[in-house]
Formats: sequence, structure tokens, C-alpha cells
Amino acid sequence: MANIKKIATDGVITNNPTFRLVLGTCPTLALTTMAMNGIGMGAAVTFVLIFSNVIISLLRKVIPDQVRIPAFVLIIATFVTIVRLLLDKLLPDIYESLGLYLPLIVVNCIILARAESFASKNTVFASALDGLFTGIGFTLALTLMGAFREILGSGAIFGVSLWDFKIEFFSSSAGAFFTYALFIALFSLVMSAVEKRKRAKQSLPLTEVK
Amino acid sequence: MQENNVTTSPNIENLTVSPSPHVKKVHTTKWVMINVCVALLPACIMGVVYFGLLALAIIALSVASAVISEIVFELICKKKFKDILRAFDFSSCVTGLLIAMTIGTNYPLYAPVLGSAFAIIVVKMLFGGTGKNIVNPAIAGRIFMFISFQAVVGVWPAPAIGSIFGLPPTSGATELAGMLGNGALPSLSNWDLLLGTGLAGSIGETCKLALLVGAIYLAVLRIIDLRFPTIFVVTTGLMSVALNGWRFELFLPSILSGGLIIGAFFMATDYVTTPNTKLANYIYFFLLGIITAILRDATKMEVISFAILLMNLTVPLFDKFIIQKPFGKQKTPKKETAKNESK
Repeated sequence: MANIKKIATDGVITNNPTFRLVLGTCPTLALTTMAMNGIGMGAAVTFVLIFSNVIISLLRKVIPDQVRIPAFVLIIATFVTIVRLLLDKLLPDIYESLGLYLPLIVVNCIILARAESFASKNTVFASALDGLFTGIGFTLALTLMGAFREILGSGAIFGVSLWDFKIEFFSSSAGAFFTYALFIALFSLVMSAVEKRKRAKQSLPLTEVK
Repeated sequence: MQENNVTTSPNIENLTVSPSPHVKKVHTTKWVMINVCVALLPACIMGVVYFGLLALAIIALSVASAVISEIVFELICKKKFKDILRAFDFSSCVTGLLIAMTIGTNYPLYAPVLGSAFAIIVVKMLFGGTGKNIVNPAIAGRIFMFISFQAVVGVWPAPAIGSIFGLPPTSGATELAGMLGNGALPSLSNWDLLLGTGLAGSIGETCKLALLVGAIYLAVLRIIDLRFPTIFVVTTGLMSVALNGWRFELFLPSILSGGLIIGAFFMATDYVTTPNTKLANYIYFFLLGIITAILRDATKMEVISFAILLMNLTVPLFDKFIIQKPFGKQKTPKKETAKNESK
């Protein structure tokens, strides 16, 4: 149980792929103009993450070390194709708005990083959980950023118009970088505050590395 | 003589004993910034005359927002209020003024407030305060508003005073936009463009004469060097002439319309975002002129702020590759250096 809890907090908070590891920045910057995009992209990535992690974890003793990256990419590409076909058929609107970034999941660093650093070393069950929680972390991050930019940039949330007040800067690509930096800063601020409190509780010196 | 001085010096308390550099001038940041504010005043007054009390409200809101955001940011950084007031150097006043002057009275009132806050907090304070900003805060604030409130960009209100040649004041696109769009000469004469009479435009950029008076005031106090903005302005004019097939009648209108004067004399000359050496400055302002003219021609909009922003980012490059020759330094012959290296 403790292991599951650790995987969960790692994936969503302490190793949050967007705010802590700064991976997968390309879709993060490009797709967060709307909160709905964040959910769609997050769900697609989560799906690919879970299944690629499971398969890679299953094959981790079969894949030779020298060719592991091509093997991982091949497995990831398979699931990306499945997601594309599914989305195209079931949710054509989201498929349209994600556009080019959907096939680009193949080279998304988050998935490759989890395959390389976690799935190729851990059991199938743990890898599946890791994929799920990392995906949730990614989805939450993208949705939060998307909601922030959508509210300020187009005065709406999830496509529902709230008011006429707009700062279109936040819809532009410059606003994407600005929002991203702002969120990373806020996230780090909260994390360090939590860490400080934890260390104060255990009366550990701040310099000591856990 | 010297011994006499030491022994019989009557008022030794009047002497300042300090390590070098022994600067006797009053060119502190505060003094410079207050004088820039003073230099901007004539243009502000003309803006209020042309566009009414709404212009005054925009200027006041923008300056207040800039100053308050600076103070609030420093309070958040746990500085003492007394220290903040003592170190307050009026540079945020200049930023606020410039931001208010670059917009028209048709902007919503929250636009200058947000623009100034963005300029001060994001562009200036986050990079470390006065003197540490990588781009001019006023330029960045203007571009923030330009991107954010696109509904009102490009539409300018008409001034209260019509053309001195009898044409009625018109609102809408500036003369510059018309000229860039179809290469037509503006309907107003050069005198109207200089005085801003009958010219639709922003609060501070309309009356070029008032801006030039302010620039000359700064030059007399030796705060800015008139050579460099002049290079900028003339290059832009000549380049516009060249891009329109060497039509020299476009030279003066292209200089006198739009925000070239305020941009060249008050924004591009910011100490922080210009290169350090004279040679680099000549190249910098020349390139600014070229880029401004090309961007104007390509986008058919007034994009001088983007040109300045772009060139601001290249300043570190200028400072890296064009270095002041140390006084009295002699070139070492090539053979010797080769020898030294081989050792």
C-alpha cells in the first residue's frame, strides 16, 4: 500500500511531469488555450502511458539494452495510432482541436521518460499505476493552465462564456510561456512551503537531503 | 602650497573624503528620471488639450498603477516601506507616463492599469528592478496592451482641434496606416502632422513638436545624446522612401506620423537597453531604423514598439562583441602573440 501511495504522490505532485520535470512542454504550450484541450490531451497521453508502460514492463527482460529506445518508440507509436483512430471515430471535435499534437505524442518526453526510468525496471502492476498517476498529473496540469488561460484570455471556461472582459495576451503564444512560468513558480513555492513545514515537524535541518 | 592647504584649511567639514570615482555631477537615477518626466510633460499637456480630461484620467491611472505595483512588489519582497520610499527613483513614473502616452482615449480604462502593472512587475521587478530589465518596460507594456485589447487597436479617436488648414478632425486609422497601406500621401500637411492638429492618434504621440521640445530639454541637460535618435529617425525615413520606390515626398510624413518620435527619443534611448559603446550605439540605432521601416512596410501597421523590443534583445550581443578599447592600449604584434601562445 505504501508503495502505491508513493507512486501516486510521485506522479501527481513531487514528480509532476509538467511542473516539476518540465517534460512535454510542446503540447503544454500549444494546447492550453482552452481547458477542454487540456483534458483531451491529458486523457490521450494517460491512455498511451498506461498501456505502453504495461507492455514495456512485460517485455523488459526480452528487449535488448542496445535497441531499447527504438523498441519503446515502436510500442508507444502503436498505442498512439490506436488513440488517434479511436478519437477520430468517437470524439471528432477533440481530434480536430488537438490536431498535429496527437501524433506527436509518439515523441512526447513524458512517455519515453516513464518507459526508460520506471517501466523498464519495475513490475507490470506498478508500471500501470505509474502510468495512470503520471497521466493524471499531466492532465491536471494542462487543465489548470488551460482554465487559467481560457478565463483570462477569452473570458470563458470549458467553452462557456463568462464575461466580456478579455486580456488576449493570455491566448497568444507569449501568454503561454508567461502562464507556464507563473505556474511553475507557484508550484515550486507551494512545494517548498510544504517541505519546510514537514522538516520543521521532524525538526530536520533544511540543508539535509532526504 | 600643499602643506599650507593641509594645515590652514579653514573649513575641512566641507570636504568630502571618499574613495574614487569622484563624481561631482548630480546625474543620479532619480534626477535623470524626474527630468525625463518633466520632458514628457509638454506632450502630456498637449494630449489633454487634444483629447480632453479622459486623457488625463488615463495618464493618472497608468502612473498610479506603475508606482503602486512597484511599491507593492517590494513590500511582498519584505522590504521596509521607509526604505522603499527612500530608494524610490521615479523610473516607474516614466514607465507609466510612456505607457499612457502610447494609447488612445478609446482604450478601456483598465488597459493602462494592466499594462503598467505588467510592465513594472513582469518586465522590471522580476528581472531585478531598475537597471536590470532586459527590455524597456514601457515598450513591453505597450505591446502587452497591443496584443491584449485588439478590438481597439488601429482605431484612434479624433482630437478636439482640427487641421490648421481647415480639414475637420477625423477618427479612425492613422495617417500612417493609410500611407503604409497604399503608399498614398497623407491628407494632412506636414505642419499638421508636426503639431498633431486634426490628426487621429494616441495621447502622447500626436503632438510631435511637444515631444521634440522635451527631447531638446533632455539633450540640453545631457541626459540623452540627440545624435542617436536622429540616426534612428533619419534611417527610418530614408528606408521608407527607398521601400516605396524612392518617393522622397514620403520622407517627412513617414517620420512625423505614428510613434516614431516618441519611440526614438524617449523609448529607444533608455540607458539600460542601449549598448555601452559609441560605435555599437551608431550601429544599434541604424539597425533600429532599418528594422522599423521594413516592419512597417511589411505589416502595414505601426510596429515601432516591436522593432525596439527586438533590438533591445540584441543589446547583450553588441556589448559582447563591440568592446571599448582600453585607454592607451597598443596592439600587440601578431608574431609575439603567436610566440606567447606557443609557450
